[in-house]
Amino acid sequence: MPTTDEARIGVYVCHCGFNIAATVDVEAVRDVAADQPGVVCARDYEFMCSNAGQDLIKRDIEENGVNRVVVAACSPLMHEPTFRAAGEEAGLNPYLVHIANIREQCAWVHDDRIAGTAKAESLVNGAVARVALHEPLEAAHAEVNPTTLVVGGGIAGIQAALDISDAGNEVYIVERQSTIGGMMARFDKTFPTLDCAACILTPKMVAADRRDNIHLLTESEVESVDGFVGNFTVRVREKARFVTADCTSCGECVKVCPVSVPDPFNQYMSNRTAIHKAFPQAIPSDYTIDRQGSPPCMEACPIHQNAAGYVSLIAEGRFAEAANLIRRRNPLPFICGRVCYAPCEEVCSRDEVDEPIAIRALKRFAMDWQRENEPEPVPAPPEHHYAERVAVVGSGPAGLTCAFDLATNGYNVTVFEKHEKLGGMLAVGLPSYRCPPDIVDYDIDYIRKLGVEMKTGTELGRDFTLDDLTNGHSGGDYSAVFLAIGAHEGIPLGIPNDDADGVISGIDYLRNINLGLPQETGTRVAVVGGGNTAMDAARAARREGAEVTVLYRRTKAEMPAEEDEFEDAVAEGVRFEYLVAPVEVLVTDGRVRALDCVTMRLDEPDASGRPRPVPVEGSNHEREFDTVILSISQRPDRGWYGDAEHDVAPLGLSRWGTFEVDPASLQTTMPGVFAGGDDVLGPATVVEAMGQGRRGAEAIDRYLRGRPLEGFTSHMPPADPKRGFEERPYEQSPEYGAIPTAPRAAMPKRPVADRLADYVEVDLGFSEDDARREAQRCLHCGVCAECRACAEVCPPQAVRLDMEDTITTLDVGQILVSTGFKSFDSSRITQYGYGRFDNVVTSLEFERMLNATGPTGGKVLCKNGEPPRAVGIVHCVGSRDEHYNRYCSRVCCMAALKFAHLVIDRTDAEVYQFYIDMRAFGKGYEEFYTRVLEEGSTVIRGKVAEVVPAHRSNGDGPHLVVRCEDTLIGKYREIPVDMVVLCNALEPQVDADEVGRVFSISRSPDGFFLERHPKLDPVGTTTDGVYIAGCSQGPKDIPDTVAQAQASAARILSLIGQGEVTIDPVRATVNEKLCGGCKTCLSLCPYTAITFDDEGEVAVVNEALCKGCGTCVAACPASAITGAGFTDDQILAELAGLLAPVG
Amino acid sequence: MLTATDHETAIETPHVETWQPRIIAFLCNWCSYTGADLAGISRIQWDPSVSIVRVMCSGRMDPTFVVKAYRLGADGVIISGCHPGDCHYQEGNYKALRRVHLLKRLLIGFGIDPERLRLVWVSASEGDQWAETANDMAREIRDLGPLRLPT
Repeated sequence: MPTTDEARIGVYVCHCGFNIAATVDVEAVRDVAADQPGVVCARDYEFMCSNAGQDLIKRDIEENGVNRVVVAACSPLMHEPTFRAAGEEAGLNPYLVHIANIREQCAWVHDDRIAGTAKAESLVNGAVARVALHEPLEAAHAEVNPTTLVVGGGIAGIQAALDISDAGNEVYIVERQSTIGGMMARFDKTFPTLDCAACILTPKMVAADRRDNIHLLTESEVESVDGFVGNFTVRVREKARFVTADCTSCGECVKVCPVSVPDPFNQYMSNRTAIHKAFPQAIPSDYTIDRQGSPPCMEACPIHQNAAGYVSLIAEGRFAEAANLIRRRNPLPFICGRVCYAPCEEVCSRDEVDEPIAIRALKRFAMDWQRENEPEPVPAPPEHHYAERVAVVGSGPAGLTCAFDLATNGYNVTVFEKHEKLGGMLAVGLPSYRCPPDIVDYDIDYIRKLGVEMKTGTELGRDFTLDDLTNGHSGGDYSAVFLAIGAHEGIPLGIPNDDADGVISGIDYLRNINLGLPQETGTRVAVVGGGNTAMDAARAARREGAEVTVLYRRTKAEMPAEEDEFEDAVAEGVRFEYLVAPVEVLVTDGRVRALDCVTMRLDEPDASGRPRPVPVEGSNHEREFDTVILSISQRPDRGWYGDAEHDVAPLGLSRWGTFEVDPASLQTTMPGVFAGGDDVLGPATVVEAMGQGRRGAEAIDRYLRGRPLEGFTSHMPPADPKRGFEERPYEQSPEYGAIPTAPRAAMPKRPVADRLADYVEVDLGFSEDDARREAQRCLHCGVCAECRACAEVCPPQAVRLDMEDTITTLDVGQILVSTGFKSFDSSRITQYGYGRFDNVVTSLEFERMLNATGPTGGKVLCKNGEPPRAVGIVHCVGSRDEHYNRYCSRVCCMAALKFAHLVIDRTDAEVYQFYIDMRAFGKGYEEFYTRVLEEGSTVIRGKVAEVVPAHRSNGDGPHLVVRCEDTLIGKYREIPVDMVVLCNALEPQVDADEVGRVFSISRSPDGFFLERHPKLDPVGTTTDGVYIAGCSQGPKDIPDTVAQAQASAARILSLIGQGEVTIDPVRATVNEKLCGGCKTCLSLCPYTAITFDDEGEVAVVNEALCKGCGTCVAACPASAITGAGFTDDQILAELAGLLAPVG
Repeated sequence: MLTATDHETAIETPHVETWQPRIIAFLCNWCSYTGADLAGISRIQWDPSVSIVRVMCSGRMDPTFVVKAYRLGADGVIISGCHPGDCHYQEGNYKALRRVHLLKRLLIGFGIDPERLRLVWVSASEGDQWAETANDMAREIRDLGPLRLPT
């Protein structure tokens, strides 16, 4: 039809029975419309959508030359397709038909007939003005991809998938859980027929698994959906299962898993292991590991020690396995078990309940146990040998770890140590009452067994230079060097006379004591500083018989020393003085006599975040001491440079004197020379130094093997490690308050009087019982503890802890969303006592209790293991209640009757049902209700007020009392029962909002997904090609769910059968003559449908990608873009028509 | 070509006593228009002075439409789209938001109270929200009185 045709408009006003006619004077509307320019006929009719009504329109088109149509009726979302089709049948382009919505947006929402009529007239006038400018449009067509995506593998998803695949089409089921089956798999019996849920469900699950054209993606979620009906592209994230498809479901792994966490499948009523299968008939039948990164204790550890793993093993009494697991990652386990500062304990989730697990002490226990009870372990020899030799300078924790890792990897390693004694700071800085020398030697001997050569008494700078190592003058040609020389030089305080006799740094003092070098300790010792070295020096000085005072310039709260060490120091008689700082060492004959001190006060926090101490004016006072130990901080020894005059440091140094290294590879400014530990970090902890040693070893291996110095896999703990549950929302996160407290096991120690006499170790270690009890406090907040016990026993070696999530892109034509519901949280109704009283259970918990694979093996039992004598079943918990959900959850009445039947069937208990209205609406439901009544269930009509504990005089009475009003007899009643079952409401899934957004599905006010039409399109959505079924659309029972699933399948198959879809021609086009080439539209298009033609310097719209939103049309400054169906002219004309005076 | 001009001249200054506000509401097809339909299906009453114009997306809103609506006799304009993050076209509603911010500043320059333009988010399930929005705007415009454009 030529667009220049004179518009001949027909207007058709619908009465819609009384729906419109009651508020709108349709005849008046018709008459006003008839007077509008271009209108050739105007009619009204009772039901315009009826055949007779449509015929009116068709006849006018065919006989009266009508070439534009306005139908004033219901919403275009309802009958626009109907009237467009009618026009098309009469030979009119369907886009020349326009709807004026005078029902939903006029007659139904206004009660004033005059105002309603006037508004309807305006709406029709607007439509007339608009349609006059309509142009014929041609819809495009696109092929339909017959592959379908089903999201949610409950009974709805399974049924739909089976139906669609029956017709020979491919189906993908994406399921979030590890098994398909959904909620139905948790039920025992189904009402009203009482057939076993598993018996009717599992054959369908197996069928879905067996079909070649059904593909199951479990533990998977849809991340994004692009495209349009018939042609969607879907991104699916499949979470790592950590068990490969080689799994034979033999279950050997479960026997050795030491983790025990509440089982979500059993509503947390029983426990399961970290490696598990949801239930015996789960599909797929492979096991899976509940794991989301490493547990926080492991994550916080610089050497990624499997803390949760050995704690779990100790809890089970598997001490040898625990010790072996510790050794897997830790070359210095005995030392770490004694002196590690345990960053793991700082992030331990148990701290939220009471106190962290004593992880360090448990490590010590496992290692000591192994040393006492097992033959000495021998490290596994390397699998291969490399010719290269590596020099490690320094035998502290960094050097030893690096040497151990390199030797394990097959390198020849030589460790150079300047002292005669190996161990670096471990040997010279740690007092032996904390870590006895034989313990240090024991750990080092283990490393030596790998073939690491140890050269003692050989000092860099004195006996050899860096150049010697790399140039072959020092007994070998080393291909790489790891510098781990530590930070052994005490930093002076910088006050007058701080070099006087009797003034010594803490680190020098400890070294002299440890190595048995001459060291005088006076009788009145001042230790300046509040760190761990200060504590060590103070406690050592006590053992030398001195009176010791620690002077610290801030307060106890800011003191960096570890709490344990502080407490031991106090117990051993060390005195502490806070807010005091020396300003001068007072000297007599060159020897310390006293300290001139000032009192400090705390000011605003400084750069370190701690309050800055400032001196109080005029507070100087003299304190008499004969020895002053300065323990401020340390820095790397600078002696090794040699003569600074002509041998400047060959390596880059920071201004603190530490080596300048690449933060990832630890390589210094000289290729092949790496550094780590205190000489890079400054004074740090043992385990931090070990972490650097490990990274250094990986870097050296990469360097020597010619692999890039990036993409390191050795662990670096995050700067701000997170606690367990809060940052790791595992399904079984408990309420911390609900966990019974159990105090942390105290470390047994030697009596104080004995300690001061010698340097024998103070801590005595846990007994087996202590250790097991302490380990059992672990909450398993990371679930899988990475102990690898399962991997070791798995016959087909299917366990792979390094498995990663995979992203799959699927091309599908249509999508069914059947994501189900979540159960109402009954603890919100506090008066019902859920969570407070043992025997108040939810319907899902009761389902699991009734189920043969559930926590009680199908027996109805109270928490004390006794069968109940009376059970109260409460209907409408959280539904039909304006405080929670106004809707009826539909399944609860029948589920409650089913429960009543099963209780009567399996126990001798009396059953009381508390209901508001009994809704037995389905086929066979009323009969089932009658049957259960006849079986002897008592029904009481009335909403339960509260559930209270019963007052028992002899300890033998009922456990609970249900209080309610019996509205049929008008009396208040108190019913004594042993158990209360709450029939919870069905609620939308917690993330329904997010899921709705991914699939462009709206939600109804109750939060469930919104169907396209409540009656006529209950499984469609406003997004073409996306359907909904089951409880994600609203609460419903299994028969209705299956019916919806089959309805969706029919809709999907019908479109597959059609083979192509019509694409709405509402699209943007660019008028090349008007386009100025400003490119404004390019960045606005969310679909990148607009590109720029560089030759013609104009924007070009790709019609296949354009979805017709019109954003570019509105933005084009040259008005060069037209949006078909919604042109500027059409909208402005509609405005003019709407606003023209009427009546 | 533009039929709008024919009507522009026909506008008369309304009498204050009999004056009823005229409010134009541009609703996006996917959320707000469906939400307004839901108000109808639920029979939630709203002020008849508000008339709805359907657009595919609030991002389609050309500022010209608003100015033209005032010019043609509207006393107030509502633009309603999907909630942030819910746009059927991903982000058209954000573009509407940006334009409305700018447009409100221009309105001040024209001597039009920026309260006469309102941008709201109404989802397909918020029939009651839509009714409340319409009623609230009608109340506001009644308080402000008829829009008298400078000649």
